[in-house]
Amino acid sequence: MARNDPPRRSVLAGLSHIALAVWALLIILPLLWTFLASFKSNTEIFGDPLQLPGALRLDSWGRAWDKAHIGRYMFNTVIVVFFGTAGTMVFGSMAAYVLARYRFAGNRLIYYYFVAGLAFPVFLALGPLFFVVKQFGLLDSHIGLILVYIAYSLPFTVFFLAAFFRTLPETVAEAARIDGASHTRTFFQIMVPMAKPGLVSITIFNVLGQWNQYLLPLVLLAGDPDKWVLTQGIARISTLAGYEADWPGLFAALSMTILPVMVVYIIFQRQIQSGLGAGALK
Amino acid sequence: MTYPGEITRRQLLRRIGMTAFVAGPGAGLLSACATGGGGGEPSAAPTISASADAKNPFGVDPKKPLEVVIFSGGYGDAYAKDLHEELYKKEFPGVTVKHNATQAIGTQLRPRFISGDVPDVLNNSGPESMDLAALAAEGHLADLSVLFDAPSIDDPAKKVRDTVTPAVLDNAKIDGKDLVLNYTVSHRALWYNAKLFAARGWQLPKTWAEFTALGDTAKQEDILLFAYPGQKGPYYQLWNVLYTAAKIGGNQVLIDIDNLVDNAWNAEPMKQAVTAWVDVQAKYGDKAYFGLDHTQTQIKQLQNKLLFYPVGSWIENEMAKEIPDDFEYAIAPIPDVTAADAMPYGAIQVGVGENFVVAAKGKNPQGGLEYLRIMLSKEGARGFTEKTENLTVVNGAAEGLDLPAGLRSAARAQDAAGENIITDARFEGWYKELFDYGTQQINVVMAGRITPEDFCAKMQKKADAVKKDDAVAKQTRSQ
Amino acid sequence: MERLRKYGFVAGFLAVPLVLYSVFVISPYVQAFQLSLTSWNGYSSIVQYVGLDNFGRLFGDEVFWQALRNHGVILLVLPIVTIAIALFLSFLLNLGGGPRGAGMRGVWGSTFYRVVFFFPQVLAVAVVGVLFQAVYRPDADGVINGVLARFGVEPVGWLTEPGLALWSLIAVMIWQGVGFYVVLFSAGMAAIPKDYFEAAALDGAGRVRLFFAITLPLLRDTVQVGWIYLGIAAFDGFALVQVLAGDKGEPDGATTILPVTIYKTAFAYNKVGYACAMGVALFFLTVTFAVLTLRTTRRERVEL
Repeated sequence: MARNDPPRRSVLAGLSHIALAVWALLIILPLLWTFLASFKSNTEIFGDPLQLPGALRLDSWGRAWDKAHIGRYMFNTVIVVFFGTAGTMVFGSMAAYVLARYRFAGNRLIYYYFVAGLAFPVFLALGPLFFVVKQFGLLDSHIGLILVYIAYSLPFTVFFLAAFFRTLPETVAEAARIDGASHTRTFFQIMVPMAKPGLVSITIFNVLGQWNQYLLPLVLLAGDPDKWVLTQGIARISTLAGYEADWPGLFAALSMTILPVMVVYIIFQRQIQSGLGAGALK
Repeated sequence: MTYPGEITRRQLLRRIGMTAFVAGPGAGLLSACATGGGGGEPSAAPTISASADAKNPFGVDPKKPLEVVIFSGGYGDAYAKDLHEELYKKEFPGVTVKHNATQAIGTQLRPRFISGDVPDVLNNSGPESMDLAALAAEGHLADLSVLFDAPSIDDPAKKVRDTVTPAVLDNAKIDGKDLVLNYTVSHRALWYNAKLFAARGWQLPKTWAEFTALGDTAKQEDILLFAYPGQKGPYYQLWNVLYTAAKIGGNQVLIDIDNLVDNAWNAEPMKQAVTAWVDVQAKYGDKAYFGLDHTQTQIKQLQNKLLFYPVGSWIENEMAKEIPDDFEYAIAPIPDVTAADAMPYGAIQVGVGENFVVAAKGKNPQGGLEYLRIMLSKEGARGFTEKTENLTVVNGAAEGLDLPAGLRSAARAQDAAGENIITDARFEGWYKELFDYGTQQINVVMAGRITPEDFCAKMQKKADAVKKDDAVAKQTRSQ
Repeated sequence: MERLRKYGFVAGFLAVPLVLYSVFVISPYVQAFQLSLTSWNGYSSIVQYVGLDNFGRLFGDEVFWQALRNHGVILLVLPIVTIAIALFLSFLLNLGGGPRGAGMRGVWGSTFYRVVFFFPQVLAVAVVGVLFQAVYRPDADGVINGVLARFGVEPVGWLTEPGLALWSLIAVMIWQGVGFYVVLFSAGMAAIPKDYFEAAALDGAGRVRLFFAITLPLLRDTVQVGWIYLGIAAFDGFALVQVLAGDKGEPDGATTILPVTIYKTAFAYNKVGYACAMGVALFFLTVTFAVLTLRTTRRERVEL
């Protein structure tokens, strides 16, 4: 069927491929450069950027692993982000659902109370937040950080999930209620499965957001380097590279953090993309 | 040219206490200062008093844990972890020492100071170092005069204050009290590759004309005369300009700036210094360096892409792993800018640095003081020099150590400088906002986007604002 | 009874989120608002109230206004350019194959492109910052300058020229963000019923006209969602600026943004009260933006 394309069409198709390929290269090249730089020597890193490493030097990877504790930071981050996101989704969807589908006095007020949080810059709260967390004895603990992550992810989550729950048809929930299902059961067994696309996309958003968080752990986990998360680790290696002039080590550490994420992402990319897309439409 | 500062230069030097810094190359370093008063009765302090018990003058509870926070920068943290803390544990067997190394001192510790959960010993340094004057105002810093009056570990007949270079005592003061221990000694001026100069047969320039002439020669070989890192450490160039101003006009220029004297920044020597360096940048510089950080610039110097680099003697250790065979660090004094510079050629900046404080309201201030006493022992200080190749303030501690070439050159330069020692600019620690503003504006003027006069005027405006700001605690210095 | 059950359910579902949010988010912010009326230095045990002095001082603060201007530029440029590029790329990905044959189809390799485009999104901002330090290096050995040098172009000070630096930073934000919106818009385009295009194509409409006549209007809601995300992002950028431009907003404050200024004022200059006042100002700006956007978007109901 495509045989009879006029020449203008294939020219256009070629042009679109060029445009797409250019953007793809813009993304791949810096990452590839980072990866290659981890095998270079300092002199090579400070030389011609288009040159390949003179030899496959693996020692920088060893140094980065030993010094940078990438493994431990990665593990900590996974734990915190997993529980943080899970908690955010459970509590966020509960609050959003109630606010979206139930009429009661103060509904709007509570909704805006949550949404107002979107407008606060996080660092404004840093100082006071430290004391709040300290009062609960949760400083330097992953539980404390997880609770704070949940709390700070709620405005965004409630805002978007409430909008999403509003779009779901009234009839199904109504039918369930007539069948005698409790409110709680209706939510978990009927509404949540219906809202799955939206939940998936907001989950992805929260995972990304919490994965990238830097300021909160910096202040709340300051005292115990064993509990640090990846972003703190990177910042530390980055400064350290400056003081010890170990640039290959820095790039090795960067590659080490990039590669596993890349693998996970490629494995799950289909789910991530379809979830994100489906959610965005509703 | 009779600034009060000129008269006191000899005094100043005596204070720094390193007139005979070097007896022979590498040997007897700092040894000449190792004389001093006999042991008197240590004076009592309101909170902690030091007894004459040389073993444990502060009455440390041997079981109480100690927490040490180290800024892990150019010196790393191994000197604390593997040396000073081990010595402390040796003295009090079974005691636990919590070691915490960080680059984000302020972010980590500010909340802890407010909440009262403070570490016992703090190495306050780096880009996020805390405002010590503010901490002092809240009574957070332990009085170190007890430490200075305690018996030295090496010779109980001597007080600690007599085992360190006198600049330590001068620089310990905040609001008239001894609160800060400066632990290292550094030499700042221009650093260059001695082997390159020897190979080319180049001489160190003594005047500005010789300096720029060398710039023309070097240009033919694609070498820059001078570069400083504009990205994260433009303070190197701010120091350089300040020291040049002091060389032209005497230390009083800097003392006035520190004291926020009216129009101190508009002083003629200041303008001359800025103009001289702006010209060098315009004719011999490369704007790419505005975007490079200190390590990147230093690597370029190791590749002989630039001749002179404004920095301190810690550079040799910082770059130790990277120094190629054809490179040897050496210090060069700032050349004469005018024919009538207040300080003759050869003047360099020698100063103490790297702040350590003990928390007064911590769990174990006695242990903190004892920890500092251990740092100031011969073993502690010598070990520091071995691990970091930087000198400490402890007299004679580096004696007999095989020092690297750059440090030896610094020692010789100080010898040659004699009494012409440029003082440090203390507003860096006192008025951080002013200093930060300076590090930003120095890039602007060096890039030619404002004139040297504008630079001085802008700095003066900011200094005036700081002077007027009641929220900023004011400090003064007499010399 | 049913009423009671309903309220019990509502209360039960709201209790935990409300408590968490009030304790960890609202209470610190309330304290911050309070502090904006003080001259607290972050250390002192005594807190002095100075009324609205801090806000008065804001009006004369050069750095504050410069930061505001920079936010204005980012707020204008970041969403427009990101959305434009993302729309363009997702159009090519989804419709590039043309309206012929079995309806709309993506170009060859569209899955690969989508995966690659999204990738910067999963990198921690700290990683991106360090990465672009190397990319933007101002000497001939930077990644971009190295390539330019091949064509005989003099090294460009991407982050050191006052006229360029902010744009270089915005470019990084766009670089990182585009992939997310490509995925978002692609999904939107894929959901547009194919007969729309077929009908239009039969009328002889070209692809560009198809895009403007059909795709764009139908994607309106999705684009608006993107606009909100990006608007919020425009007020942040803390980590990126901190790593790439340093905390002074080098050069000449050309890259100063409020979060960095606030952080520095509070923690480096110990003017916590004043910094909180800046934060409060930022709060009202973000609220204004959010209200304006929400008024025009009204995401209560979405229909395709």
